Amino acid sequence: MAIIEIQEITKIYNPEHVPVHALNGVNIEIEEGEFTAIVGPSGSGKTTLLNVIGGLDEPTSGKIFIKGTDMFSLSEKKLIDFRLNHIGFVFQAYNLIPVLTAKENVNFILQMQGQSKSTYEKRSEELLHMVGLDDKMDKRPSELSGGQQQRVAVARALASKPDFVLADEPTANLDSKSTANLLDMMLRLNEEEQTTFIFSTHDQRVVERARRVVTLVDGKVETDEVRNSKL
Amino acid sequence: MNLWPVIKLSWKNVWRNPVRSGVVIISVILGTWAGVFSSAFMNGLSLQYIKNELENYTAHIQIHHAGYNEENLPSYYIPSADSIIEDLRSKSFVQNVTARSLAQGLASSATNTFGVTVNGVDLETDSTVSSIYSYLVEGDLFDESTRNPVLIGQKLADRLNIKLRSRMVLNFQDVDGNITAAAFRVAGIFNSPNANFDESNVFVPAEDLNQLMDRENLVHEIALLVDDFKQADAYAEQIRQNENLEVRSWGDISPALRYTDSMLDFTLYIFMIIIIIALTFGIVNTMLMAVMERTQELGMLMAIGVNKPRTFSMIMFETLFLTLVGVPAGLFLSWATIAWLGTVGIDLSAFSQGLEMYGISSMVHPELSPAYYGNIALLMLFATLLAAIYPSIKALKLNPVQAIRKL
Repeated sequence: MAIIEIQEITKIYNPEHVPVHALNGVNIEIEEGEFTAIVGPSGSGKTTLLNVIGGLDEPTSGKIFIKGTDMFSLSEKKLIDFRLNHIGFVFQAYNLIPVLTAKENVNFILQMQGQSKSTYEKRSEELLHMVGLDDKMDKRPSELSGGQQQRVAVARALASKPDFVLADEPTANLDSKSTANLLDMMLRLNEEEQTTFIFSTHDQRVVERARRVVTLVDGKVETDEVRNSKL
Repeated sequence: MNLWPVIKLSWKNVWRNPVRSGVVIISVILGTWAGVFSSAFMNGLSLQYIKNELENYTAHIQIHHAGYNEENLPSYYIPSADSIIEDLRSKSFVQNVTARSLAQGLASSATNTFGVTVNGVDLETDSTVSSIYSYLVEGDLFDESTRNPVLIGQKLADRLNIKLRSRMVLNFQDVDGNITAAAFRVAGIFNSPNANFDESNVFVPAEDLNQLMDRENLVHEIALLVDDFKQADAYAEQIRQNENLEVRSWGDISPALRYTDSMLDFTLYIFMIIIIIALTFGIVNTMLMAVMERTQELGMLMAIGVNKPRTFSMIMFETLFLTLVGVPAGLFLSWATIAWLGTVGIDLSAFSQGLEMYGISSMVHPELSPAYYGNIALLMLFATLLAAIYPSIKALKLNPVQAIRKL
């Protein structure tokens, strides 16, 4: 079953002056448990597409359904709550809260959801264990390497048990070893937890390990390759 | 809406840049201290002026015959004064009472004449109500060896060109309206902060004046001090029962003093509000910096699901915490300083001449009512909440996509 249905999405920046067509009628369906890479040259609309799927940027036209909910028919307040409860975000620059420890960063999302202390403590410890950071739970982001920070970011993204995780170039700031480790971890989560990952990337090593690769050129889907075998 | 995680995050954010937060907190402490202490100093100065005026000249409450203040006639004396005084002494709020006989007359020397009020006093009781006798600069209080002794002010002595032990003549009406005159010898000269008073008042023993006015136990004025001069109006109302008597509080006697007292609180709050406004701008500046340098982080928080009320609350709480640390510390520092200097006093003897012109002694004891501390804390809280609004709105206006540039 498709958890994300993207229907004829267009996004035009600056429509009244010098219009920039970032997305031109994009149609994609994403199934639960997919591990999808959005690729394409710079300016092809990868980031815009992720922003639109994440409900951060409203499309000029078209619709996006998340598990049947028309995301942009929601009020602003409901859309923010929707993001909190249904979408996990991993940012290129990690974007952890610097004053909180790794565990507190993961806790924060669960606290926002109103989970009890025993629930969020247990969940965040489980997640940090899953991403291999048992011994770094009480470290602040400044005390962690880039790869470790990105693992915390993945744990945070998964904390709310989202329908899917959006990641924009999650390996862009990582060295090759950290990139490999992060990909291993994401793939393991994808296989074991059936977590749906959608990420944009330029990195060929990441593309090679994706199970579906959507290529955007000039805001349009040029190719959509589904690989059956799990790498 | 559960704000607890946001409150905890706000507290940690305050200490994200300890130097900057420390500077703001110290400025709040110093601003609060400076404002509150200055208020206490001004308050102490003004209260001392008012108390000096009351304890030297006016007393807290005066009682006269109902017609006396209109015409000052000797015949407007208080009948049965002894029983009234006895009754007053039985009241718990009355501290000291004195009775005076008064005559409006002329003081003459060989070279000059000047209009004066002749106060017939019983030194034993009058010195418990008036401090004028503490300003004696020459001679002694009524010397028993001197016949018809008189205490005069330095200013009057200068005008009449007389000295200690000089003779002077006092002319006035007796109770029956007859002009009477007697020679007095200057037993002492006082020099109080109020030159007008010194120029127009002389003090003689009550029995001497009463004898000249042809009545024994003559009383024109009963003056009293009460336990709290601010309650004088209410106490005067309690005493006011005989329609043949006029009971006036110090505020009724001296409206200028009442105005000084009533304006005092207002002035202190205006002064404090000016300081608070200056502090508020400092806080706004700091919080704006804190918001602007964290746009990416705030954008990320909005992206992952921190809604607007929570974002707004987070900045509000951060601002509040800066103040909540600074204000109590500033108030405590103020209280400690005021408590200490209120006891030992601030010696302004270098400016004593100028201060005495205004009836203020050179030792000032700062003081403030406890309510003022509470009101300042509330004012600061209110100002902080106002100060937090603009940075909070600025944070709300951030667009998550622009703030984090991209996912």
